[in-house]
Amino acid sequence: MRKLYGLLLGLLFVFSQTTFAQIREVSGKVTDSKTGQPIDGVTVAIKGTDRATTTSADGSFRLAVSGDATLVFSNIAYTNQEVKVADIGASGLDIKLVPSSKNLDEVVVVGYGTLIKRDLASSIAKVRGTEVANTPVPNMTQALQGRAAGVFVESENGKVGEGIKVRIRGQSSISASNSPLYVVDGIPIITGSLSGNALADINFNDIESFEILKDAAATAIYGSRAGNGVVLITTKKGKAGKTQYNVNLQYGINEPTRLRGFLNAAEYVEFFREAAVNTAKYHYNRAGNWAGYSSEQEAIDDLVGFVEGRFTRYSGYSSWQNLETNTNWEKEAFQDAKTGLIEVSAQGGSDRTKYYISGSFNSQDGILIGNFFKRVSGRINLEQILSDKLKIGVNMALSKTDANRVPQDNAFATPMQLVAMAPITPTRDQNGVLYDRPTTTYYNGLLEIDYAHYNSTTYRNVASVFGQYNFMKNLFFRTELGIDIASQNDDIYQGSRTFNGSATDGYGQQDWLRNSRFTSNNYFNYRTVISDVHSIDATLGAAFENTKSEFSTVSGEQFPSDDLRTLASAGKITVGSSTISRAALNSFFGRVNYKFSNKYIVGLSARYDGGSVFGEDRRWGFFPGISAAWVISEENFMQNTGALSFLKLRASYGRLGNSAGFDPYGSQSRYGIGKYAGSSILAPITLGNTDFTWETTIQTDIGVEFGLFNNKVSGEIDVYRKASAGDGAGFIINYPIPATTGFTGYIKNIGEIENKGIELTLNALVVNNRDFKWTTSFNMSRNWNKVLVIDGDQDTLSFNDGRYFNALIVGQPIGVFYGQKYAGVDPNNGDALYYLQDGKSTTNDYLAAGQFVVGDPNPKWFGGWTNTFSYKGLELNVLLQAVLGYQVVNGAGGFMSARGDWFDNQTRDQLRRWKQPGDVTDIPEARINAFGDFISPPVSTQYMEDAGYIRLKNVTLGYNLPQNILTKLKMSSVRVYVTGINLAVITDYTGWDPEVNTDYRAGTINQGGDFYAAPQIKSWAFGVNIGF
Amino acid sequence: MNMNTKKILSILAVGVLFFTACTKKLEQTDPNNLPTDKALSTDANVKKVLAGGYDAMSSGNLYGGNVQLFADLLGANAEILWVGTFNTYREIFNKNMLTTNPNVTGVWVSGYNAINIANNVLTALTVVNAADQNRVKGEALAIRGVMHFEMLRLFAKDFRDGSPATNPGIPIMLLPTPTTEQITYPARSTVDQVYTQIITDLVEAENLVPAKNGVYFNKATVAGMLSRVYLQMGRYADARDAANRGIASATANGFGLLSDFFSIFNSGVNTPEDLFAMQVSDQDGANNLHLFYSIPEFGARDGDIEILDDHLNLYELDDQRFIFYLGLGAPRTAKHFDIYKNVKVMRLAELYLTRGEANFRLGTSVGATALADINRIRTRAGMTALAALTLDQIYLERHLELAFEGFFIHDIRRFGKTVDGKTTVDGKAINDPRIVFPVPQREINVNKNLVQNQGY
Repeated sequence: MRKLYGLLLGLLFVFSQTTFAQIREVSGKVTDSKTGQPIDGVTVAIKGTDRATTTSADGSFRLAVSGDATLVFSNIAYTNQEVKVADIGASGLDIKLVPSSKNLDEVVVVGYGTLIKRDLASSIAKVRGTEVANTPVPNMTQALQGRAAGVFVESENGKVGEGIKVRIRGQSSISASNSPLYVVDGIPIITGSLSGNALADINFNDIESFEILKDAAATAIYGSRAGNGVVLITTKKGKAGKTQYNVNLQYGINEPTRLRGFLNAAEYVEFFREAAVNTAKYHYNRAGNWAGYSSEQEAIDDLVGFVEGRFTRYSGYSSWQNLETNTNWEKEAFQDAKTGLIEVSAQGGSDRTKYYISGSFNSQDGILIGNFFKRVSGRINLEQILSDKLKIGVNMALSKTDANRVPQDNAFATPMQLVAMAPITPTRDQNGVLYDRPTTTYYNGLLEIDYAHYNSTTYRNVASVFGQYNFMKNLFFRTELGIDIASQNDDIYQGSRTFNGSATDGYGQQDWLRNSRFTSNNYFNYRTVISDVHSIDATLGAAFENTKSEFSTVSGEQFPSDDLRTLASAGKITVGSSTISRAALNSFFGRVNYKFSNKYIVGLSARYDGGSVFGEDRRWGFFPGISAAWVISEENFMQNTGALSFLKLRASYGRLGNSAGFDPYGSQSRYGIGKYAGSSILAPITLGNTDFTWETTIQTDIGVEFGLFNNKVSGEIDVYRKASAGDGAGFIINYPIPATTGFTGYIKNIGEIENKGIELTLNALVVNNRDFKWTTSFNMSRNWNKVLVIDGDQDTLSFNDGRYFNALIVGQPIGVFYGQKYAGVDPNNGDALYYLQDGKSTTNDYLAAGQFVVGDPNPKWFGGWTNTFSYKGLELNVLLQAVLGYQVVNGAGGFMSARGDWFDNQTRDQLRRWKQPGDVTDIPEARINAFGDFISPPVSTQYMEDAGYIRLKNVTLGYNLPQNILTKLKMSSVRVYVTGINLAVITDYTGWDPEVNTDYRAGTINQGGDFYAAPQIKSWAFGVNIGF
Repeated sequence: MNMNTKKILSILAVGVLFFTACTKKLEQTDPNNLPTDKALSTDANVKKVLAGGYDAMSSGNLYGGNVQLFADLLGANAEILWVGTFNTYREIFNKNMLTTNPNVTGVWVSGYNAINIANNVLTALTVVNAADQNRVKGEALAIRGVMHFEMLRLFAKDFRDGSPATNPGIPIMLLPTPTTEQITYPARSTVDQVYTQIITDLVEAENLVPAKNGVYFNKATVAGMLSRVYLQMGRYADARDAANRGIASATANGFGLLSDFFSIFNSGVNTPEDLFAMQVSDQDGANNLHLFYSIPEFGARDGDIEILDDHLNLYELDDQRFIFYLGLGAPRTAKHFDIYKNVKVMRLAELYLTRGEANFRLGTSVGATALADINRIRTRAGMTALAALTLDQIYLERHLELAFEGFFIHDIRRFGKTVDGKTTVDGKAINDPRIVFPVPQREINVNKNLVQNQGY
């Protein structure tokens, strides 16, 4: 024991060189400045180190410090206070902390500047980087799911690093973008990519905070791009003090949230034999026997023979009669998946230089076979004060992402379509060679693993340099130059045994995309306080952006070997093409925040934008926002009001544009190019519209912010209305015209849409003791989306294509489900029934069925509830996330839950099919579509389900090593944790996962579709953070 | 302070200069496409637009395969079986189309796109070199006429079904839509009116196009198209004469029947027998006949169409047109087996069959006797010459010669029966309104002047 102690002491001695000077012990008591009560659980830290202690229940503390140190007193419910040890007398210290809410006093990043939360008259949600750090997902937006009111996040499927839908206060556009503008350290970043998601290039462990600008007053300063909200991302900056190193390690596993289950071999054989008999009887008795069987039995024998022939074909070497093979093809779609993270960062600096440097390697396997995502990233954020007037700096991030993608959900090659295979089919023959058609029902997607790849590599550099010059104490000029370059290569190879490569001895494709954006922001900021009561904060500036997108693609065929996969090996180059597109934006912007006496706040902001993508007659636009707030709790009559400690009323109004997601040249009448018979051709592609302009929305917001019990409980309630402007600046549609013109439409600002909603955020410090703390944060949002005008003529656009039935209907939300209502099964004959237009009587003729608004893919409610419990060094964080009140249509229902319409394996609900007259069930009689006597099951409410869910989104259990051990280890912090995402879900949806929007058709109208979409990823990871 | 003011002013000045310079960047033109006013401004450009008309016709929705494929699927007669998973194609095979069927819509949209291009060319003839004006005009008229014809056959009742003078045909489009100002909302002309317009266009085109014109419309092709139109109308004398003119022009200009039937097909260049074919290469073009009739081994889909015994049993033992192979466990036609091959639209053999049939029906022997024309086709396929003809025999020869090239339903309608004598096709009456395509729902929605077809 003594030896060990000696060893530790030795270690300490080795590691410490600066301490052992003037150590003294200080003690004292911390009380509440208002009530005089002692405060339990105040952290007393030595500034610039990681040493700290906590006050006990009577508010007292005791700590050994060096004489030149500074103590920092902090508690979540109070304003921080600093005391120099040198100033402490021998009698100890009596500290009175002023109650506060961190929430109200914290700095909030706004467009081109910062403000204090308390002084805001607009609606901004803030998510701290620490809240989402180390979530084992590739994309920062996924980590925001459930974290902020009014911010809806949905992953399209469980493919890693792919599409994610982010909507702030609903959808306002049909054909342009509905995604917010993302701004990193002042630079609007590129979000386009060849494949995958450009936001996954950003390592979100480098992020200090996300500020989500929601109302018009907050976003107007981003003008023609602000209509969908703005996400301001601020990366971590160094703080003065000695260098702090952080090592972050994580390792875990990924698996699907759920498997849905299909028929096994015995059930499959029984099912399709039954279907054969039923089909023969139907043909002979009900379809006129046009094939000319002489008896019902002859028809049955023929059909059973046909089906058994298929069984023989599908079972390969094995015997279906003996059920020799029973392959679970669903399981074949998935792989053992690991996730890992290695990250090192250093930050610190002096009074003049501050730096944050990080390097990170993140590897995440997808759950689908062949799917992975890897990111290597580094960041340097550096700030140098050159003189008391001039400050310069750089924020630079470099990253490389490597992803191996799987085909889109509608491709035969995508792993999830393996579920269509017959369970009697072995995956491989007796020599271990993968089976393909005709033994497999469809192309065997497993062949992709050995014979194909789809590697996507992106190099991304988001960098900005800035200079800030203080003309005087209150006035500075800041200039920022940003460059964002995303250079992506998609390297696709399909070998000689694959679906796409088999006819051409292999197929190779190289796509290159370079997106670059140059941004220049220049602005003045003036801040002053006049006569102690008039605070003014004003910003005025100009910005210029130039974006260029260069794309080239080459394809080749005829490869000598599947081992030679570069296009140099292609015997024939079949496609070579390149395109360029450019866009420019020139802007002037300004903001004035005026505060009188801490009670009355008025904000004005505006931007004047000129954009090259707009028609020449409407190129420049003005976007103002105005807001006002009244901090009622600062009024004299509101003092001593007991529990109510803070109350602010605010309102805002403004006009915003949306200009993302357009064809940059779509306003011009153009002839496009093409090829025919070996030479080039010209053909009309667009009808121009010189009045084409940004989509304009007008947004009104009224909010209340409140604090109770010394702000231990705080909250915000906002109600808003966001509606298209009706003056020829509404949402853009491809205005439909008769195709007899040679066109199906042209772009026109004609539609109008409205979002109304309410958002609630509640934060509470429930328990705040020395050993045990419990904080809770709850948010819930309700959005009502309504299409007001489509094109002025039509009030219903139905996009029923037999698999899905999204529609655009005036008076209904975007993409509402409109079509046939399933009425179950006729107990007499097993036919599927549908409701006629009267809504009561039924028919077995789908074509005669009525059309109804039957469902809505837009969630009514969504929200999240975070609870953090800490007990001594243990911390448990639990996030529940909910999306409620929406439906999903399984577009693959007509294949997988199709009463055996073809030989696709069927979902297990088909076991309760109708079998004999009198059966009451919702699954029709098994019938195979061999004669075309009936239509294949098309979309109806049969394939629509309520998909609302409540998910145990994230659980993290962490343990912080206690101070005494850390001190001995000479570490400033060590945290070990286990974290899990998507751990459990409560839903009525019977498909793989209710959070789904199948990737091949995901759009604004086309939403709420499932089509062999991979279930979401459930992860478990173990991690260590070490700070020293 | 004075220093600071100077600095502010200088920075502002630089800023103003900078932004003034940048404003010019707001005028961006598309580097990849051409403004409309330039596209029709020169001789060279107008000719490229004319080529654009052919490219439009080569769409998979049109002569790139679907127009032919749909005629086969509608007239399947249990000779072919659609087994593919694409339910929108299956609807056509089942003759149970929804009005929203995207492939049906595709024919309409692509067809009028080609017509609009032709009309654009016709308005820009003045900038074409005088020497080429006739050719360019003739080709554009031919594109317009042929596209109206193909759509009329699918979207309207057959000429001899009820009254063509009152049956709705399709809208006739004779003017282009260069800007949004020219958007029109046309009603459907009657079947009679559309046929009249088609004949007007093609007759004029035949006079204007040259006898030799590469892979583009020439006299023989346009005459052949006219013979197709007349034959569908039952105007046998006109059909006979047009076919005869086509044969004369073709044979005088290097076209001729190949001696080997098999080698006509799966060709990447036009053979001497091809009066008109859509050009497909590994660089460009669609061949949906290959895509759906062939199998994955040859780069096609899943073998979506199987050939059934009812068809295979129609061939005589030594018929060299029996070019089938077993693929994915079922017989397949070898006519379209290979990838990246031209899509046949009109072979010279068709003109002999048309002339022969018309001569037989009329009891004439313009150009040649019916027996000679039919035997020309038979003997080329390795069979013995017939001594005497019947109409059924002519139907059978035509059916086997042109099988899977887009003739099934049209011939069933003309003959009023299937090749094996049934007066129904796949259980439906031949004039069942559901064998006619619906007017696409999107068109009904945007154009209130359109009426939907009977049965939808």
